[in-house]
Amino acid sequence: MNPLSKKTANQVTDSLLNSYGQVFFSRNKVFAVILIVVSFFDMYTGIAGLAAVFTANGAALLMGMNREKIRTGAYGFNALMVGLGIGINYQPTAEFYLILVSISLLTLFITIGLEGVLGKYGLPYLSIPFLFGIWFVIIATKGYSELTVSERGVYYLNDMYAIGGMPMVRLYEWFNNLGMPETLRIYFKSLSAILFQYHLFAGLLLAVGLIYYSRIAFLMSLIGFYSAFAFYKIIGANISELNYSYIGFNYILTAIAVGGFFIVPSKRATMWVIFLTPLVAITLNGTAFVFVNFGLSVYSLPFNLIVILFLYVLKFRERHLDKLTPVLIPLYSPEKNAYGHTSYMKRFGTLPWFSVKLPFWGEWKITQSHDGEITHREEWRHAFDFEIVDDEGKTYEGEGLHAGDYYCFGKPVTAPADGVVEEIENEVADNAVGDINMEKNWGNSIVIKHGDHFYSQVSHLKKGSLTIAVGQTVKQGEKIALCGNSGRSPYPHLHLQFQSTPYIGSHTLSYPFSSYVVRENGNFEYNTARIPNNKQLVSNAVPDITLQHAFHLIPGATLEFKVNEEIFVWEVESDPYNNTYIQCTNTGSRAWFKRGVDVFYFTGYEGKKDTLLYYFYLAAFKVSISFYKKLELSDQYPLTIFPNRLIQGIQDFAIPFVKFLRADYLLVYDQLDDQTTNRKVVLRSIATFGVGQNIRQQYQFKMECNTRGLVRFEVNTGKNVIIAEKQ
Amino acid sequence: MEKLRYERPLIKRLDGNMPNKFGMRSDYTPKTHIEGVAVKDLIKKYGSPLFVISERQIRENIRKARKAFETRYPRVQFAWSYKTNYLDAVCRTFHQEGSWAEVVSGFEYDKALHNGVEGSKIIFNGPDKSSADLEKAINNNSLIHIDHLDELYKIQELSKKQNKTVRVAIRVNMDTGIYPMWDRFGFNYENGQAWTAINKIMQSETLELVGLHTHIGTFMLSPNAYATAAYKLAELARNIRLKYNHEINYIDMGGGFASHNTLKGAYLPGTDISPSINEFAEAITTALINSDFPQNKLPLLILETGRALIDDTAFLLGSVITNKRLSDGRRSTILDIGVNILFTSFWYDHKITPAQPFTQYTEDTVLYGPLCMNIDVVRENINLPLLNNGEHLVVHNVGAYNMTQWMQFITLRPRVVMIDMEHKVHVIRDNETLKSLLDLEHVPDHLTKFDL
Repeated sequence: MNPLSKKTANQVTDSLLNSYGQVFFSRNKVFAVILIVVSFFDMYTGIAGLAAVFTANGAALLMGMNREKIRTGAYGFNALMVGLGIGINYQPTAEFYLILVSISLLTLFITIGLEGVLGKYGLPYLSIPFLFGIWFVIIATKGYSELTVSERGVYYLNDMYAIGGMPMVRLYEWFNNLGMPETLRIYFKSLSAILFQYHLFAGLLLAVGLIYYSRIAFLMSLIGFYSAFAFYKIIGANISELNYSYIGFNYILTAIAVGGFFIVPSKRATMWVIFLTPLVAITLNGTAFVFVNFGLSVYSLPFNLIVILFLYVLKFRERHLDKLTPVLIPLYSPEKNAYGHTSYMKRFGTLPWFSVKLPFWGEWKITQSHDGEITHREEWRHAFDFEIVDDEGKTYEGEGLHAGDYYCFGKPVTAPADGVVEEIENEVADNAVGDINMEKNWGNSIVIKHGDHFYSQVSHLKKGSLTIAVGQTVKQGEKIALCGNSGRSPYPHLHLQFQSTPYIGSHTLSYPFSSYVVRENGNFEYNTARIPNNKQLVSNAVPDITLQHAFHLIPGATLEFKVNEEIFVWEVESDPYNNTYIQCTNTGSRAWFKRGVDVFYFTGYEGKKDTLLYYFYLAAFKVSISFYKKLELSDQYPLTIFPNRLIQGIQDFAIPFVKFLRADYLLVYDQLDDQTTNRKVVLRSIATFGVGQNIRQQYQFKMECNTRGLVRFEVNTGKNVIIAEKQ
Repeated sequence: MEKLRYERPLIKRLDGNMPNKFGMRSDYTPKTHIEGVAVKDLIKKYGSPLFVISERQIRENIRKARKAFETRYPRVQFAWSYKTNYLDAVCRTFHQEGSWAEVVSGFEYDKALHNGVEGSKIIFNGPDKSSADLEKAINNNSLIHIDHLDELYKIQELSKKQNKTVRVAIRVNMDTGIYPMWDRFGFNYENGQAWTAINKIMQSETLELVGLHTHIGTFMLSPNAYATAAYKLAELARNIRLKYNHEINYIDMGGGFASHNTLKGAYLPGTDISPSINEFAEAITTALINSDFPQNKLPLLILETGRALIDDTAFLLGSVITNKRLSDGRRSTILDIGVNILFTSFWYDHKITPAQPFTQYTEDTVLYGPLCMNIDVVRENINLPLLNNGEHLVVHNVGAYNMTQWMQFITLRPRVVMIDMEHKVHVIRDNETLKSLLDLEHVPDHLTKFDL
């Protein structure tokens, strides 16, 4: 097969399988195959579904829709459900297929139309296209005399017989008569109803598939279903409605959507699943009575209404945005959402859009931070004051009666980020120590525009010390002025604030520094994306040339490592979305990485978990390119790489509530041979996987870098040692 | 009641001159304690004369210096100038504070290694580096600062033989507007010698030009000269980049910052005219920042500051042997401190204060050392209170060069003690004894016996 047709075949298979998986918000291939199998319990229904998917995806492709969206099944799943829905209701005649193709095309159009409308609001269209499709076709076909209504779906034993003859029917009967609680029976049936099947087997198979796909989704489906059940009981509603009309799947889908797919799984999300159940129930009952007049079923309308409305409502929050977090980038797995989100938020969540550094060289002390006791209050509360102190904590030499006695006076002030100078003040005289200028209270200042609605301001600068002019571009770290004592400044200090308007003295914004180093008791602590605390001794991290070079992996580069006479070739690649990864040509594994301003991160790994690349992924999970001897950097791996699947499965069920597994990363800056030409840097890291405090597996790594980059990589898995050397 | 101190009678002429504009300044407060330890007790326990070094002052000086540069420039490294004071305890205090080692001889190089400095953090300067020294430095991956072409050839030869890349810098001398111009070390900037060396290094396959070094002079009283030097080196680095597309990793501005000693012949005391380390820092860093180096590629700035960091950390304690009236009527006092251990008295009018309380009466005095040599003059003219035999004096600012340039001549070299951060006194160098000298000597057999 030539590569092009192989690619096409992959595209077709992916789009087909994902169209099925999307019904349950999944991209899991195995689950998709189970769904196809279940849909084929009634062969003609299965064929109808398949035909609908091919029609919708094929049309989308021919019309030139986004290939990636087609591949993910986003355009296929609504048509699929319409196909299944009408496939079970009509006889498979030629006329039927004509209608099927047409309605699939219409569903595709509705899908794209709704995507355009709802997409603007950042909302999903869920299965609304399906609802329109199936309602249109049901009402329309009432007048199409050539279509013959089928009763296949009603007599499911016929299906069983068709599949496995009499033994299958007996098995089903036996299974049906098992002492299974009635509620569970209804649950299975409700689950199967999503694919227009109305029997236990389908439900059972789907449940197994669902567990395989996602433990959280399965758990949520049960929670959603049983809370509906509880609500019906309490309210005195007709429970049998769930049994006969099979629309209990509304609760299941709502629970999966809210409890794991659109919202990061958590205790709160689970609580909302329970709270939303009555809303779904009321919507269900409220709409069903209207729709029945037109001979229509409400299908998944309540689920669609409530989920879309709820997601929309969440967008209007002004507070507690971290309490119930919508998933920003769909990962198509509640587990990945749960594990990935927390670690992503911890690692990159607060990573600033602009790289902002401290506006000076050397080590300064923060003498007033956010919400300070002196002037950093109310609208100006997100500001910093910096001064230089000596070992005794004094800010001046001698008696401190002259501005020049202060260590910070006359020291360079640098641009905190790249930008354009917006406004300056350079002519305010420096105060005598103890005096303040309330008239020109900001003193000599510089406002730099870094981006739209993002400015920085440095104040109390020395008179006449500004070396920039309005309109001039400045680079991060460029000297722009000297620290002074002008304005409301009784003694020399440097004021810094971020703001959204370009005027001196604008209201402040809280914005984190992309990186800085804190010295405490002789130890250095490296911080990324944080706001330093009051009284901390802070300095900018100085990048180490060797590390900078070693971790500057440019797409197109090739790394070759030799392990026991075997040569591993790693290629650095990037995808169209600017994501970068290392691909091992020997094993086909991929490790996704990201280069921050000062930090190298691995963000994900695909492939077998005993490859050299996997170990490198573990070893260099987060590397700061600044070297501080004995500096320790820690991070947490996503639990999806936990080495024991079973234990991880248990954790999956519990993750919305409690996390008991740990996957810890620790990097120690061990040795730096020489700073001027940086001959050799040694980093050591440890990956620890455990249950609570109990360590199950530990890997130790050693990375040696020199001017040639990473030259030696040692792995100690606890059982054996792997030594890789750069070729 | 303590017995009152005897003070000899004094007749002083009443001067009716114009008072000078600095007023009737008097420096005479007794220096009774050093870092909380009584001078009297020190001499009693460790003998006279005695060098006393304050560890606290060393740490304070280097931290202040680092702060002065690091808050003005992003990448700074200090290297301790061994020749200024290479007592192990002193060097190691600096190394603890993050300084590298700057050495100018094979002996100093070995001492740095002995102190535990990694080879790659030793800067090897000086005009006299033997083949053996260079070989060692090459093997240890040290930074070699080339002084002359013959050395360059030698390094090239050795590196080829050992098949090793050598990290080198060249020492550049230049006109920075000061006199005397130190043009005997390194390659001259103005006459093109520096380029001759650079071209040769850049053509060489085994030499890697990592830095540029200059050392414009000693006891510099003008920060501007450093700005000129820094600017010229930056220009050189830029031209190297233009010509060879080669980045210079560091610029070494050498040393030479003045301490607070008063040079002989200076009109005003050193405490008033010596620029502070901040002024030097300001001049150098401003010149480099305003040079052509791209903002994100500023080279590492290396400083080999010696004197300004160590001078005021050490004191020399001594005792009065006797007083004499000279033929011209001047008073003279003879101390047990000679120019053999206070070498810097040739350069400075050292500040010398009594170690015990005294009255307001002072007298112009000549201070002589104990050597039986006419050159042994510690201060030619100093206004001192009246001192008696056995009383003590403290010579200030003796940390630089004395403990390396002292000589064993007539008398033996005294002890050196260091007072640590907890005011505990440690002997860091023992006094010489007859044995320490005899150990080095050999007497031919035929000279062993004599009969007088």
